[in-house]
Amino acid sequence: MTSIPLMPALPEIWLAAAGMALLMIGVFRGDKHTRSLSWLSVLVLLVAVFLVINGASGRTVAFGGQFVTDAFAIFVKVLVLLGSAVSIVLALDYIEREDMGRFEYPVLIVLATLGMLVMVSANDLITLYLGLELQSLALYVVAAFQRDRIRSTEAGLKYFVLGALSSGMLLYGCSLIYGSTGATGFEAIAQAVADNEGAASIGLVFGIVFLAAGLAFKVSAVPFHMWTPDVYEGAPTPVTALFAIAPKAAAIALFVRVMIGPFGELVIDWRPILIAISIGSMGLGAVAAINQTNIKRLLAYSSIGNMGYALVGLAAGTESGIRGVLIYMAIYLVMTAGSFAVVLSMRQGGKMVEGISDLAGLSKTHPAMALAFAIFLFSLAGIPPLAGFFGKLYVFLAAVEAGLYPLAVIGVLASVVGAYYYLRIIKIMYFDEAKEPLDKDAIGRSIGTVQAVSAILILLFFVWPSPVLTSAAMAARALFPA
Amino acid sequence: MVIQALSFSLFALVAVASGVMVITARNPVHSVLFLILAFFNAAGLFVLMGAEFLAMILVIVYVGAVAVLFLFVVMMLDINFARMRQGLLRYVPIGAAIGLILMAELVLIITSWIGAPDGAQTRPMPPISEMSNTEALGRILYTDYVYLFQASGMVLLVAMVGAIVLTLRQRGGVRRQTIGTQVARTKAESVEVVKVRTGSGV
Amino acid sequence: MLHAAPVFLPLLGAIIAGFFGRLIGDRGSQLVTCGCMVLAAITGAYVFYDVALMGHTRTVEIASWIVSGSFDVTWSVRLDALSATMIGMISLVACMIHIYSCGYMAHDASIPRFMAYLSLFTFFMLMLVSADNFVQLFFGWEGVGLASYLLIGFWYHKPSANAAAIKAFIVNRVGDFGFALGIFAVFMVYDSVGFDAVFAATPGKVGTTINFLGWNFDTLTTICLLLFIGAMGKSAQLGLHTWLPDAMEGPTPVSALIHAATMVTAGVFMVCRLSPMFEYAPTALAVVTVVGASTAIFAATVGLTQYDIKRVIAYSTCSQLGYMFFAAGVSAYSAAMFHLITHAFFKALLFLGAGSVIHAMSDEQDMRKMGGIWKLIPVTYALMWIGNLALAGVPPFAGFFSKDIMLEAAYAAHSGVGMYAFVMGTFAALLTAFYSWRLLFLTFHGAPRADHHTMEHVHESPQIMLAPLYVLAIGAVIAGFALNGLFVGDGRASFWGNAIFVLPDHDTVEHAHHVPLWVKLAPTVAAVLGISGAYLAYIVSPEMPGRMIEAFRGIWLFLYNKWYFDELYDFLFVRPAFWLGRGLWKGGDGAVIDGLGPDGIAATTIAAARRAGRLQTGYVYHYAFAMLIGVVILASFYLYRMGR
Repeated sequence: MTSIPLMPALPEIWLAAAGMALLMIGVFRGDKHTRSLSWLSVLVLLVAVFLVINGASGRTVAFGGQFVTDAFAIFVKVLVLLGSAVSIVLALDYIEREDMGRFEYPVLIVLATLGMLVMVSANDLITLYLGLELQSLALYVVAAFQRDRIRSTEAGLKYFVLGALSSGMLLYGCSLIYGSTGATGFEAIAQAVADNEGAASIGLVFGIVFLAAGLAFKVSAVPFHMWTPDVYEGAPTPVTALFAIAPKAAAIALFVRVMIGPFGELVIDWRPILIAISIGSMGLGAVAAINQTNIKRLLAYSSIGNMGYALVGLAAGTESGIRGVLIYMAIYLVMTAGSFAVVLSMRQGGKMVEGISDLAGLSKTHPAMALAFAIFLFSLAGIPPLAGFFGKLYVFLAAVEAGLYPLAVIGVLASVVGAYYYLRIIKIMYFDEAKEPLDKDAIGRSIGTVQAVSAILILLFFVWPSPVLTSAAMAARALFPA
Repeated sequence: MVIQALSFSLFALVAVASGVMVITARNPVHSVLFLILAFFNAAGLFVLMGAEFLAMILVIVYVGAVAVLFLFVVMMLDINFARMRQGLLRYVPIGAAIGLILMAELVLIITSWIGAPDGAQTRPMPPISEMSNTEALGRILYTDYVYLFQASGMVLLVAMVGAIVLTLRQRGGVRRQTIGTQVARTKAESVEVVKVRTGSGV
Repeated sequence: MLHAAPVFLPLLGAIIAGFFGRLIGDRGSQLVTCGCMVLAAITGAYVFYDVALMGHTRTVEIASWIVSGSFDVTWSVRLDALSATMIGMISLVACMIHIYSCGYMAHDASIPRFMAYLSLFTFFMLMLVSADNFVQLFFGWEGVGLASYLLIGFWYHKPSANAAAIKAFIVNRVGDFGFALGIFAVFMVYDSVGFDAVFAATPGKVGTTINFLGWNFDTLTTICLLLFIGAMGKSAQLGLHTWLPDAMEGPTPVSALIHAATMVTAGVFMVCRLSPMFEYAPTALAVVTVVGASTAIFAATVGLTQYDIKRVIAYSTCSQLGYMFFAAGVSAYSAAMFHLITHAFFKALLFLGAGSVIHAMSDEQDMRKMGGIWKLIPVTYALMWIGNLALAGVPPFAGFFSKDIMLEAAYAAHSGVGMYAFVMGTFAALLTAFYSWRLLFLTFHGAPRADHHTMEHVHESPQIMLAPLYVLAIGAVIAGFALNGLFVGDGRASFWGNAIFVLPDHDTVEHAHHVPLWVKLAPTVAAVLGISGAYLAYIVSPEMPGRMIEAFRGIWLFLYNKWYFDELYDFLFVRPAFWLGRGLWKGGDGAVIDGLGPDGIAATTIAAARRAGRLQTGYVYHYAFAMLIGVVILASFYLYRMGR
């Protein structure tokens, strides 16, 4: 018998074991201890960050080629773990107030995070699918977590039904790919593609189309985005925050790994898909958000648009493009976490509100929060020198380098149009008179910290961007073996 | 060989036909029954391929558990399927058009299929004389595929947790029997000696 | 490090005042920001002496910023005659305005915020002029835009200030779009964004073309025009000028610093900085000349009819910027820079003087409600005279030298556009003199038209506001003949060194010294005529303007309403950016000025937004349908492609 090396997957094993342990603790201690259990979950995730960073830095393949860890995986895993940790922190007060204080909530997030890590490290179509399902299943449940509120359950159900459809497409794509190449491992598929001298058979191309459709659903790219506004609006706000943060990074990473890894030589073949969904997402994200009155719905469209920008980098299909995607995602995560921290502080008379008009006069009642939100919105709008501008800069530059001028031009245009609705919120916050001010005590200490830290990160990115830039460059290089 | 080919055709045909019936039958109970039939035929196909373990699992799990559960749900929930379908009729033309296009494309793929170079036999099945199907599966499931196996386990755990979270309710006012407390009761806390005054009752 | 000090000291001040404003209080933040600015002005003067006069050009690298393949950008301070001149001027003027603000804003509720914004602006402006590459230039460019937005909207409780701030921001975005495209094009063509590399490679790009969507464009012309669109936005040139008059809603020191002396001249500076590129793009230069000359005359005519004291000066700024552009357009970059510097002094002086008047008149800005106060505030009155004399170009004040050389250079260019610029410029000089003295007479002379309550309160400003005015007044008097020899005279070759590049046969500054006598005299004669005209109309027979307005009501309305049809010019000059701006501009029909709100963009996109919203029905099966349709379309596309 040969022994199976487990060390490369230590973070995953840790999360699985710790997740089950948390579950046991929760079962025995009950819902009263949800808060301490949440902090414990945050700790678990931070330990996982530590394990990820201290793991092997080079490319390591384990479990008979089903699992891979490399600089790319490390970069994204750190993002995902931190994103999940932040979303647990954001939920702390909310779940207690809004009757969601059940211990399963942090446990499910930990398990969803495990699924994301599996996705990021996938080196096989089966691993890909299992990771995706593990993540999605946990997310379906948390979307419907407020089971007594019809909007929450509706969101959960919609997400579940459409998610099942997308899983079906993805699986169908996988089977077509398997049928054409005779393999499920990424290296083997790449080998089969290379043996065919980069000429894809029609079955393989269809497989890629279906696979891309399934993945596009997870990143909520047009036209597979329809669930996003409804689910974002219906789900409890901290869940929405979670959806917008960690799973997006994991799904984009998976998208990148699948497209660049096994199908790297077919970039000419899959590029049109990426261009189409990225243009659609940027356009829709810019236009459809204008009419929204609900801040969560607006952020849903904003995230659709942002995924479009990230996919521009993938459409380039080059090393600098992937680097752009990673930088973009890192910045996007921070901006989104901050924005949701603000949305989670919106209460009037003890009740959560979600209307954009409820923000009127925020600059007078909550000057610090208004400033932080203004920073996030300016950054989302891509105003230099805030971080969001650089995120866009890198992906557009990559697109230009790859000769995709129309894509870059459309991206710039979409960001100009999109700037309008971000600026509109700033105008409402700063220049409109408040009808009924938001509660003073709505900002908990943890949420306030998230706002402040995110704002500082966004502000100071351009001064000292090198940690993100160099690690993203390393991560991107890992996908392109010389 | 002829028998094999014939039974393949039979199983396949019935499976597809009952699949169609599942979505067209008017009575939802019939739909579920056709679903069970489809499962049986799929199990038959597995047997033809020599995968008897999968066949049995399919029958036990899907027919024995899942489909029967479906049946209960369908019978207990009073859903007017006929009315639900009415709204769908509006979308028949566009749905049919898309379905047809997709179908045509898939047919095109199949007709121009270029299969994998060495067939799909990346991991050949051991001959039944050497090793039973179940054992063969077990050998690779806990070694080569242990990662995926454990991941599937986590998926099931999440599903279980999710089902409990979304459906289990602690109702107030329900009296439950807890044997522990019953047994632990002492005489002092459960028996009270009352002096009854004559003529007043307890 | 001393050479980078003037750039970063204002940032230090802004950070301290901005983040710890509450801690150190109003007085503390004034002291900190002014202290930093004084130090910056001193080091700035040293930089000017060391780099520009002694010729020690250098590039101070601060840090590596973005490295990505061939895309290599560093933070650095590029010091040559051009940037050193700008650094010296900006740090000095900004220092004066900081000090002035201590007095002017004394009664405001949020002084730390104001001082922090002002310092932040100064930092971005210095970053802009000291940039060593296009990206840093863009960084400063957007930074000053942001600071300007914040400062125009400083009194955010005034709806008009908000509207003006948003308008300035959006109009500038139109220009920035062209600018950003220009930078992209530079990187695409040159594979670098550093100035040195780009300038060195420019001669080799003459005659090459860029292919975009199947059309061929001349490389250099395209790049220069795109970049010039950015300059038009920032420097308020005809078509993209509409934000500048409205920007007067901000506090007066802001108008003086941003909208007179520094930010609006960034476009001129950029054209001069990129002279090695523009020189090889004669078509672009011609466009620059025509736009500049047209702006000069356009703004001057509008300035004749306005009643708001600050708006008159704003239009005058617009007009003077036009002068600078046409000078740059006829390759007289040094003349443009010369006027930029002198203009900074006398226009800041005029604005601050106007601020002093407004301060005295209890925040009244309408000249129809002033008059007869010259005896009450004699110092301000005298300073305004100096500013006006300099602006009108009366010898020996500063404006005389710079305006003269620009007009002579335009004449000496011996080209159609040059002659157009000369004629327009000379006529505009007459109008300039006229409206300047109209302002002076309406404000200070005649019968008092304010109510007695206001008149009782008219008082001279405190010394802290007057002291900066003296410094600027000295500049407005002596800057002309002090710098004449260096900037455009015999010393110019050694002074500018490599900072400004002029092709030998474009050397109009040289030719300007050999023009006929009547050309040399024309501006002065125009100025004297203009002053006399104003004297006649507003002192000798004050009822004449009213009669003129009645007689030529059509023309007057046309001018008073700022020519109505600006979009026509935009259509001709802003074509590359126009399709972006279409949504904006169509919104404003007759009254162009007011139509330029965010409503324009919204109008075109809102229909699309509604359509997108309607797709979002909420039914799961609609969503599923959408997904299926998406897959089928993608699959069909591939089938079609493979079938071909």
